Amino acid sequence: MSATQSSAKMYKYDDFDHAFVRDRNIEFADQVARRLSGEITEDQFKPLRLMNGLYLQLHAYMLRIAVPYGVLSSKQMRKFAHIARTYDRDFGHFTTRQNLQFNWVKLAETPKILEELAQVEMHALQTSGNCIRNTTTDQFAGAARDEHSDPRPWAELIRQWSSNHPEFTFLPRKFKIAITGARKDRAAIRVHDIGLHAKPEGFDVYVGGGMGRTPSLGHCIRTGLAGEQLLSYLEACLRVYNRYGRRDNIYKARIKILVAALGPDEYKRQVEDEWARMDRAKVDAPVAEIERLKSYFPDPDFKVASFDRVAFERAQTADAAFARWIKNNTNPHKRDDHVSVTISLKPVGLPPGDASSAQMDVMADVADAFGYSELRVSHEQNIILPHVHKGDLYALYTQLDTVNLSTANVGKITDMIVCPGLDYCSLANARSIPLAQDISQRFEDAKLSDKIGDLQIKISGCINACGHHHVGHIGILGVDKQGIEFYQILLGGRADEKAALGVITGKGLPAEAVPAAIERVVRLYLELRTSDDERFIDTLERVGRETFAGALHEPA
Amino acid sequence: MSQPNSAHTPQLVTRDGDIIPDGWTLLADDDTTGADGPFILGFERALRELDSRNGHYGVRVLPADDIRLLEPFLEKITLIEVAFPGYRDGRGYSTARILREDLGFTGIVRAVGDVLRDQLFYMLRCGFDEFLVKDKDPSQAITSAAKRFQTVYQGAADTNRPAWALRHTQA
Repeated sequence: MSATQSSAKMYKYDDFDHAFVRDRNIEFADQVARRLSGEITEDQFKPLRLMNGLYLQLHAYMLRIAVPYGVLSSKQMRKFAHIARTYDRDFGHFTTRQNLQFNWVKLAETPKILEELAQVEMHALQTSGNCIRNTTTDQFAGAARDEHSDPRPWAELIRQWSSNHPEFTFLPRKFKIAITGARKDRAAIRVHDIGLHAKPEGFDVYVGGGMGRTPSLGHCIRTGLAGEQLLSYLEACLRVYNRYGRRDNIYKARIKILVAALGPDEYKRQVEDEWARMDRAKVDAPVAEIERLKSYFPDPDFKVASFDRVAFERAQTADAAFARWIKNNTNPHKRDDHVSVTISLKPVGLPPGDASSAQMDVMADVADAFGYSELRVSHEQNIILPHVHKGDLYALYTQLDTVNLSTANVGKITDMIVCPGLDYCSLANARSIPLAQDISQRFEDAKLSDKIGDLQIKISGCINACGHHHVGHIGILGVDKQGIEFYQILLGGRADEKAALGVITGKGLPAEAVPAAIERVVRLYLELRTSDDERFIDTLERVGRETFAGALHEPA
Repeated sequence: MSQPNSAHTPQLVTRDGDIIPDGWTLLADDDTTGADGPFILGFERALRELDSRNGHYGVRVLPADDIRLLEPFLEKITLIEVAFPGYRDGRGYSTARILREDLGFTGIVRAVGDVLRDQLFYMLRCGFDEFLVKDKDPSQAITSAAKRFQTVYQGAADTNRPAWALRHTQA
């Protein structure tokens, strides 16, 4: 398949970037050696390893690798497959931060893994700790028909500025930035510490969104911010947060708490004051650098081939599963003869977001054969081929199908966001993954799932909300009630351009009652909707969530 | 970020790696100055008294103190000690940058408290020039911190030029 291999259009390290990662890896290898020799204790090692993405989970070390703004080359995906095979249990887990986690690595082997990653311009830096984390963006960036500004060069600008930032490495708490440049917000910018909407006339800046214990939607504090002033404005936002964000209580330390306490207007005033005093020329990269970054993200050399519409439609008629996959797993592309394809990592009955090394290899192969060698990770934990010629879809589908990667459920009820839960995480109260599996089995039937249409279920195993339950059309939150796992159901959340937070509806349910309760809610929706085009979230907003509250509980 | 050797007696080291004696005395808030200086005043006391005092002083700044309040008195201040009660508290980095880059302070900025070798790189970049370090070998700690990264990506209070500046210098 390498015959057709092209080079992915993405940022390439130069000598400065290579030197940075090399220096960081040398430092970490030394820290690991000191830990292994017993020179430092686990306690002393903890903050050092966290700065390099290495967590100690329930059963083993977990290494979280940064996939900057979710953009991957086929070569990098193949490296993930190799690492999974060589150093882990033959699989990896794609996360809601568009990153990849290996859940079973050995401490002694982590320097070697980081060395392998450096070969493909990757690392695990700032994937944990109270610093600026991986900036996330629209998985269809540079391809989507509804995009007005490509967010990737800006995400790369932010990536570099936030790397090893001397002032913002010991923030009150972690800090997450998301950026979109399309009409539809697929990056959930209003539930991020800072959300950026790139528009032709400049950036809209939202601050103070978030999930966790105190969910809130970001407030717009600036519109029309010029791109060449983005970094200094972010620096002012972060400085005010670093100085005045709470540090006495880990649960009140995110910027949303500061913005709520000051009020968005006062926070904005302080930011603007800081910004006015700042020597911006020292902080803002020049236009030449922004142009350099943009030059890494041209269109691929789009395949010029006539698209045989008749054959394409014949294939769909002959193969209903293919037709369904086309309908559910493709997104409109800016070119009529291309689409963006989402490879679902949510097959029924398996942990959401997981991929085996064999599957990773196939994804890399099909990216080379049909997708200009480029892949993306979405915050919904799926993999995307951003550019695929329509004439290649059947061949692509057929290859994906050989390794159980043809699940046709993108955006549907079984395409859930789910945190790792008690199976991996020491914070969780609940087993999110088995619950997700139970729910997806209940809606396994393709016809039923398609009839229901777009419906996002998001499951968190604890109040920290890694499964984004606040912004699920149906959110499910695991809580611990005197040692018993319970689940609260939230209705009406959404993370898109009409962002809203779900509201807890009805009483908590035991795990075994949840799938049936979800089914009753969904059946009621099917009765109430005015047409097949009225989505669950639209019906819910039309009739109100109280209408659905009764359905959550078994009729007495 | 604790180091195995963090139990060592703190020593004062400059950004060039020289171990120097500390000639300053931290004055308790109820202590009247009679003996020889130079003295370091607490932040509140400095705000209260510096207007009416002559001579040169040091000021100890805690994380929550707003460094900009010292602006009217900066010509009487030759040393600012920025305290780090715990390494996780990163407010002192902003304090130092504001001092250097916004207020234009040219005296000594010293880091004291929980100052460990893994923080020194960031402190150097934020404009600190003296460090009270608990380390077996403070000179080695500071010189290795200074050259730990060839590449930096931001302009800050030091002389390192960010990658974007170097990329476009000779274009």
